[in-house]
Amino acid sequence: MFDAKLKSRRWANTRLSLDVFLSNKAAVIGLAIVMVYVVDAVIVQVAPQLLGISNPNALVPNFAYPVPLPPSWAHPFGTTYPGVDLLSAVIAAIRIDLIYSVFVVAIGAAVGAVIGVISATVGGLTDEIIMRITDIFFSIPFLILALAVGFILGRSLLIMSIALAVVWWPIYARYARSQTLSTKEATYVEAARAVGVNRFKIMFKHILPNALPPIFIQISLDLGSIMIIFSTLAFIGFVANANVPELGYLTSLGLNYIQIAPWTIIVPGVVITLFALAVNLVGDGLRDVIDPRRRS
Amino acid sequence: MKLWIYILRRLLLFIPTLVGLTFIVFFLSHVSGNNIILSEYINPHLTGAARAVLVQQLTNEFHLNQPIYIQFFYWLYQILQGNWGITNTPIFSGSVNTAIALFLPNTIMLSVVAAILIWVIGVPLGVFSAVHRDSAADHALRIGSFTLYSMPPYLIGLVFIILLGVWFKILPIAGVVDPTVVSSLSWYINGISYPTHILLIDALLHGSWNVAADSFLHLILPSVTLALATVAGIIRILRSSMLEVLDQDYIRLARSKGLPEKMVNNLHARRNALLPMLTTFGLTVAGLLGGVVVIETIFSYPGIGYWTTQALLVSDVGGIMAATLLFGLILMVTNLIVDLLYAFVDPRIRY
Repeated sequence: MFDAKLKSRRWANTRLSLDVFLSNKAAVIGLAIVMVYVVDAVIVQVAPQLLGISNPNALVPNFAYPVPLPPSWAHPFGTTYPGVDLLSAVIAAIRIDLIYSVFVVAIGAAVGAVIGVISATVGGLTDEIIMRITDIFFSIPFLILALAVGFILGRSLLIMSIALAVVWWPIYARYARSQTLSTKEATYVEAARAVGVNRFKIMFKHILPNALPPIFIQISLDLGSIMIIFSTLAFIGFVANANVPELGYLTSLGLNYIQIAPWTIIVPGVVITLFALAVNLVGDGLRDVIDPRRRS
Repeated sequence: MKLWIYILRRLLLFIPTLVGLTFIVFFLSHVSGNNIILSEYINPHLTGAARAVLVQQLTNEFHLNQPIYIQFFYWLYQILQGNWGITNTPIFSGSVNTAIALFLPNTIMLSVVAAILIWVIGVPLGVFSAVHRDSAADHALRIGSFTLYSMPPYLIGLVFIILLGVWFKILPIAGVVDPTVVSSLSWYINGISYPTHILLIDALLHGSWNVAADSFLHLILPSVTLALATVAGIIRILRSSMLEVLDQDYIRLARSKGLPEKMVNNLHARRNALLPMLTTFGLTVAGLLGGVVVIETIFSYPGIGYWTTQALLVSDVGGIMAATLLFGLILMVTNLIVDLLYAFVDPRIRY
């Protein structure tokens, strides 16, 4: 009976969370837009020919007409240099940007969360050292550090995302640490310690799961930023002559034609801004869900 | 803890951070072996015995045959001596020190103008948005700043270029000055202006008003773009912190004793709402420094950021490493100053 009561209370809790999220119209619209992007990425991954794309990993140049053409029936979004159809390029690019951004955030969050939880539970000198290391990472602008890391390891999309993960974990480490420090003193952790549960079991079974939900929200807030930084790096030439459908790289292709063909900039720009906007809206909505002031 | 102990502690912690930062930079430039350093100093067309002699000479000079941690101290010694190596990029080749002396003043100029713009635009809008909560103007501001926040900085710059530079043709879109304006000036040689290397200030010093006006026009787009790329975050933070302050009891008290709304907002609320802004100031500087790289590149503005991307594109290790170190130092010093200021500004904080 106790179990049933607990279950119903959990269900009520979930209902409340859903209600809070759904009452935020902007967040719901954001979620719908994000879903469109995800569906696009999945289709390109699973069955690219459905969308008329033969190779989702490469742009299809048309050197017969390298100069950008304005939007027309054949090319609804126009073309960019060298004769690349923007519509199919953008469709393919969403998949690459999404996969790599999620990759960066996931790696950064996983590494950072584990380090942060360890730092806070062990405490003492270890904690101090780990926090000083994150300080060092915070004292280098991430864009520059990512440039330097990628520069040494070689310039490709994979290296670019690894370089971003290298600069992104300290944020999560700090976040997980502060979360852990507050849950560490909770009564149930004290109880676990009192009955003699192993320290690492407490760390990963009792503390980490409770530190996770705020981290997930941080992830959803960061996903948009990462996508922006990712495309920015590609735009300033991190993956030179890569011939990959990537939104920042696509933008840089049209750069020499900015005077006569603004659509080569606007189309990829709108696609990436819309995604970042949608992700940020969802993140804001999720933040409200755990904000006790909004739940009352 | 006393304030001066806190300051002393912060200053002492500065040292390991500095060593850590330099070690990261050193490690990155040495992790893939010596070739990356040698290639910076040796002409690629050089082969055979002549090359071997040079390699030997450089190995001795940089202690390349020593273990890597020994090399680190030799390198650190050189850095502390002010010898930052050499750089070889399309826009500048020579010693890193000269490159920094030429490019850093321009970047400082750009960042300072952008920072002023951020302050002038961001603070009033953030306060307005909070005071007129849920009004039509507030919604418009929030949508606007949210959209701006979601735009990559390069896109903001490109939109400005398309609108103001290409369609309306009212503002120049690249460089610091129209070359025809400065063609016969005694203090402007080979694209370098003297004595401060900031064209706008040099022109004012020499009384060349038309050059000053032209370089001011060139400064508008990059600085506005840089400001807009950072200001959205500021508006959002300020709005929420202002809302929090407006909910406090002492604000209610001020209102209930009949103080005019304007005084409540400007005197009582705004000052306290600005306090959290100080903590985010470090983040703002980080954003500015990152934005500088992108925006200088788009506008071909000869600053540290443009030099950095040029170094990246031609695989110039000297430039990349020097830039990483320089940007890191700037940010470290800023964070230190912010922390110290925080202790002075908020009397409730005692460490």
